[in-house]
Amino acid sequence: MRPFSAAYAIALGALIATPAIAGSELDAKMPADLLPMAKDEATVTVYSFTSRIKKVETAFEEAYPEIDLQGFDISSTEQIARLKAEAQAGVANADVVYISDTPVVLTELLEAGIITPYVPPRVADRVPDQYKSPLLAQRLSTKVLMYNEEANPDGAPVSNLWELTTPDWKGRVVMVDPLQRGDYLDLMTEIVLQSDAMAAAYEAHFGSDIDLGGAANAGEKFIADLFANDVILVKSTDDVNVAVGKLGQENPPIGFTSYSDRRDNEEEGWALQVANDVKPAPGIIFPAILALAKDAKHPAAARLVIDFLMGDESKTGGPGLKPFYVAGDYVTRTDIPPHPDAVPLDAFTAWRLQPAETAKIRAAVGDLILTLQ
Amino acid sequence: MAEFAMSGVGRRVFFRQGTVLKGVVLALLIALIVLPLIRTVLFTLEPETIGAWTDVLASRLSRNLLYKPLANTLLIGAVVATACVLIGGFLAWLVVMTNVPFRKTIGVMATLPFMIPSFAAALAWGTLFRNDRIGGQIGALQGVGLDIPDWLAWGMVPTLIVLTLHYFSLAFTIIAAALATVNSDLIEAAQIAGAKGARIFFGIVLPVTTPALVAAASLCFAGAVSNFATPAILGLPVRMQTLSTRLFGMIEVGQTARGYVIGILLVLISAAFLWGGNRIVAGRRSYTTITGKGGRAKRFDLRAMRWPLFAVAMAILSAATAIPVLVLTLSSFARSSADLFSNWTLHFWLGASNPSIAQGTPGITHNPEIVRALFVTLGLGAATAVAGMAIGLLAAYTVARYREGILSAAIAQISFLPLLIPGIAFGAAYIAYLGAPIGPFPALYGTFILLVIAATAYLLPFAVQTGRAVIQQVGGELEESARITGASFIRRLAEITVPLALRGLVAGGILIFVKIVRDLSLVVLLFTPTMPVLSVLAYRYASEGFGQFANAIAVVILFVSIGASLVASRLQSKSQPWLAA
Repeated sequence: MRPFSAAYAIALGALIATPAIAGSELDAKMPADLLPMAKDEATVTVYSFTSRIKKVETAFEEAYPEIDLQGFDISSTEQIARLKAEAQAGVANADVVYISDTPVVLTELLEAGIITPYVPPRVADRVPDQYKSPLLAQRLSTKVLMYNEEANPDGAPVSNLWELTTPDWKGRVVMVDPLQRGDYLDLMTEIVLQSDAMAAAYEAHFGSDIDLGGAANAGEKFIADLFANDVILVKSTDDVNVAVGKLGQENPPIGFTSYSDRRDNEEEGWALQVANDVKPAPGIIFPAILALAKDAKHPAAARLVIDFLMGDESKTGGPGLKPFYVAGDYVTRTDIPPHPDAVPLDAFTAWRLQPAETAKIRAAVGDLILTLQ
Repeated sequence: MAEFAMSGVGRRVFFRQGTVLKGVVLALLIALIVLPLIRTVLFTLEPETIGAWTDVLASRLSRNLLYKPLANTLLIGAVVATACVLIGGFLAWLVVMTNVPFRKTIGVMATLPFMIPSFAAALAWGTLFRNDRIGGQIGALQGVGLDIPDWLAWGMVPTLIVLTLHYFSLAFTIIAAALATVNSDLIEAAQIAGAKGARIFFGIVLPVTTPALVAAASLCFAGAVSNFATPAILGLPVRMQTLSTRLFGMIEVGQTARGYVIGILLVLISAAFLWGGNRIVAGRRSYTTITGKGGRAKRFDLRAMRWPLFAVAMAILSAATAIPVLVLTLSSFARSSADLFSNWTLHFWLGASNPSIAQGTPGITHNPEIVRALFVTLGLGAATAVAGMAIGLLAAYTVARYREGILSAAIAQISFLPLLIPGIAFGAAYIAYLGAPIGPFPALYGTFILLVIAATAYLLPFAVQTGRAVIQQVGGELEESARITGASFIRRLAEITVPLALRGLVAGGILIFVKIVRDLSLVVLLFTPTMPVLSVLAYRYASEGFGQFANAIAVVILFVSIGASLVASRLQSKSQPWLAA
């Protein structure tokens, strides 16, 4: 019996190890080696939190005409709900997950084994460790206070976040509903986490100590006051952009949106500009994550897509990075020069998202916002 | 001999005619309708989810999670039901009892609004009345310089108007049918006795038609409280929530247990009102309105009011039919919804991807997602129609041929249960039910099969009702004689019942097809990006601010459903008011 058991154990071991070896083998392959396999797979599905996936789709299919990239623009919040439901159902619709909402992604997708990390070996040595682990960050994105620079040629019309809670800005602050978009819930959560800074900013602006009323801290007080001041909640960042940025407005509102949407100013007829000097900070800066779905049906093509999205060897990353090499997006690759028109990252005053801290109180902040609506 | 007789009796008790058939049908209905509901309730009772009940019912969140949306929902139900009965009743009175000009035209037009999906009507409202509150494109009226106030652009008032214009045709159909049966003897007797119009109305017409008014009101109420599309499109921008939008929002952000609890409460409310309405009607069914002799009473002469009342009727009817269709069509060609009449483009229909329009989204004929959605939607409609009519016919046949027994009663009751369940809650229940593997069966989340099963179950009441009508048309004696000559059940069904009832079955199938093609509330939660349906795509485009794409898709759905409805109504010789529900 003994030899049999040993053989059995080895076989079993091999059986367990095989997929892992296959995965790590793929992980080590360069794009040229992935390509033949990816061609056999013929198609690849990407869930993306940005509508720029449509541009990526066109560029990818130009670079790899044999592979059909199906890109779906799905908000991070909805991606998480769908990926969890799909995992529960045992179906793998997505191959590549391009997502923000890191606090939830880490706990509910990575730890739950719904997604797995992948760093393309071609660029691995040019991405700082903090952006490779636990998941690969392609770039840093933002949710910050933006204003209309056509109507305010001398700079931002506010210098302190607390001004947004005053009668001057009643019904004139626009953002996406934080209960529908995780980025905005992260922003609200960060404001609560930064309560000390918020309290100091309150004092600096109003000249008196903050009276919390029923609120637990200065951050919650700010959120409550903002909602009491008739903040306008819309459904997508594009709605914020149009409301704030549209040219020809006499008295435009102000709003929280992506700094990088400034890229569309010319194309869309907007005048968006970041209020970088607002106290205590204009908003948050957070990673945009690229990961593989756990049981991706097209593993080689999926890796090829991530490799493509990290940019090629040309100076600014070529067609894969082109939609993201814009002012306001901070590409994580160290060899890609910062975009010339943007505030340099080290001068950018937005708070850096701390996923672990945010994850702790995020649900409670969500419930707070639910009570304010 | 005695032993033989005994065993014969025993056989009859346990294998009485149709017991097997009844058992099969009942099992099918339980699997389709009862289990999803039970599964949903059980989901909210697990240790990690039971807290959702307290969150929703009694916590600091309850006010926004439940009570405010509940108040909005009930207000919508009450106002829409009242307005629908008034408008539907007014039009029915004009058509059935007066000499208003173009009575037939009014009668036909009054049944049309129900063919226009409510999300299309809501999109049309937005295209006209949208103001600059939330940025993005402004509507056509603001575009020509009118200042549209927030209350007219968003929230409760537009929701009430759009829903009333959608549901009044349901009330019209029911009330007109009832008015047509008012015995002319009664009215003539009153006229001879010298009663005036008002007296006749309040003394005879109103009491006789009260059951129909109650039925119409309760159906409009249930429809309005469970409607998802209209409050979602017109209410959310001003944070107006109803139970159905809350349910959707909670599930979209992954707070599933809270969503299910809200869904269960929504089902209870909608069911309570329908049940209550039914009780009132049932208690008053004793009027004899159809007798052997009564002829058609002389029509009430409107005299000078003929044309003014005609104008009022046409104003209401065109607001509910022609205007939304026109606005959606125009806007799908207009570069900006602020200006519907110039600067036209075919981009939203035929254009290739252009980075300066809508983030490079190509026109709907070039958009693989939309083309795929068209096929999925049509396939879903066809599959649901076939599956629905098959099960509907089977259930109706079983109940009609073997009337007695608890099993038959259970089949009849369960097959009507989905009428009480708002589509969005039904969708939620199906995610709970088939979203995870059951025993050896794989999970169906994101599959075409799931959409078909859920849609079939959801529309079963209509399928069974149609099936019942066609079976009653086929005389039982034909089938009896086939049975005596030894034809099996399947053979009898295939060679007698189905061929004779084919016309009715096809018409019923088409109506199911139409209902599912234009449905948003059921599929909005079952939607997955890889299995898209048109109505959900239209909704998503609308919420991303790509109004013209949404409107173009709505126009496609409109033409598919109006075309199919016309085919169905040609196939149907007599009107079947329940099909309009």
